[in-house]
Amino acid sequence: MTNRHFSRGVSLGFPILLGYAPVGVAFGVLAVTSGWTPFQAVLCSATAIAGAGQFIGLSVVAGGGSLSAALVATTVVNLRYVLFASTISPYLHGLSPARQAPLAFTLTDETFAVNIADRRVGLSTPASMLGVGAIAWLGWVAGTALGAYGAGWVGDPTKWGAQFAMPAMFTALCIALAENRRHVVIGVVACTLAVGLAALSRGGLRIEASWLVVVTAMAAATVGALVFDD
Amino acid sequence: MTSVSPSVVWGLIIGMAAINFAERFVPMALVSRLELPRPVLRWLSYVPIAVMGSLFATQVLMPRGEFLPPWSSPWVWAALLTGAVYYKTRSFLGATVAGMAGFVVLGKLLGT
Repeated sequence: MTNRHFSRGVSLGFPILLGYAPVGVAFGVLAVTSGWTPFQAVLCSATAIAGAGQFIGLSVVAGGGSLSAALVATTVVNLRYVLFASTISPYLHGLSPARQAPLAFTLTDETFAVNIADRRVGLSTPASMLGVGAIAWLGWVAGTALGAYGAGWVGDPTKWGAQFAMPAMFTALCIALAENRRHVVIGVVACTLAVGLAALSRGGLRIEASWLVVVTAMAAATVGALVFDD
Repeated sequence: MTSVSPSVVWGLIIGMAAINFAERFVPMALVSRLELPRPVLRWLSYVPIAVMGSLFATQVLMPRGEFLPPWSSPWVWAALLTGAVYYKTRSFLGATVAGMAGFVVLGKLLGT
């Protein structure tokens, strides 16, 4: 039973692997050209699984910044995980901390969205969430290894549209999560706020993309909670 | 090649592993023990679609941080194709692969 749920999660998470692998390759190449050993690059991806956070940490240190500055930067960029973990946690009521740990470890934008969408149709279980996390982890780590060890011979993944894998996934997830009119309204509000705030930010106020997502998503959810009651 | 010292790299690897796990695990373990009030649960239930809306905006409407005119953007047209395939098939994999293929073709037609 649990095995079947796990494999269902693996197949659900397969598009995440397609999206992560090329980005992982990019991280691997960048880490090695910044003077890391390939082993360090792979270990970092395997233990942190934090796309943007890893790129930021790497670039702060490569640019001559201190270790503490790099750690603060990665903490700030990945603060959205606090929001995601809180959002998903009511579904994990009664699950022991030891069983929550691997789910927390593999929590990313994409695993969060896939698991929530699956939960909405009533199918998600801790085992399926573990499957989603495992295949996402594999894509990220394998991509990093490919980039780090094979930096020279990896071709250009943009030839086959790799840079659209994540946007495609988010598009499908928008539709999966928009289950009623309220959700459509909240999604459109979030989208509009993000475009508007990004336009404003070019006028001086600098907002980093992951902050833009956190701020506009929280604002749109708040609008939803105020406008729509139970 | 570069002057980044090995101890800084190791410090970063260990530090990032610890921080990223703590940011995910601590709120999950704490909040899952609480009985949350209904308004908070309702707010949380709106977070996923709001996050997806914002991510769609940053990734599809503003790829590389620039807002592109939608009618000439391969990102937007490929997203429409992806959305249509997902709506018809309810398959994330099918929609993602169709979107990637569409993006390659549209990129050639519209110029990326």
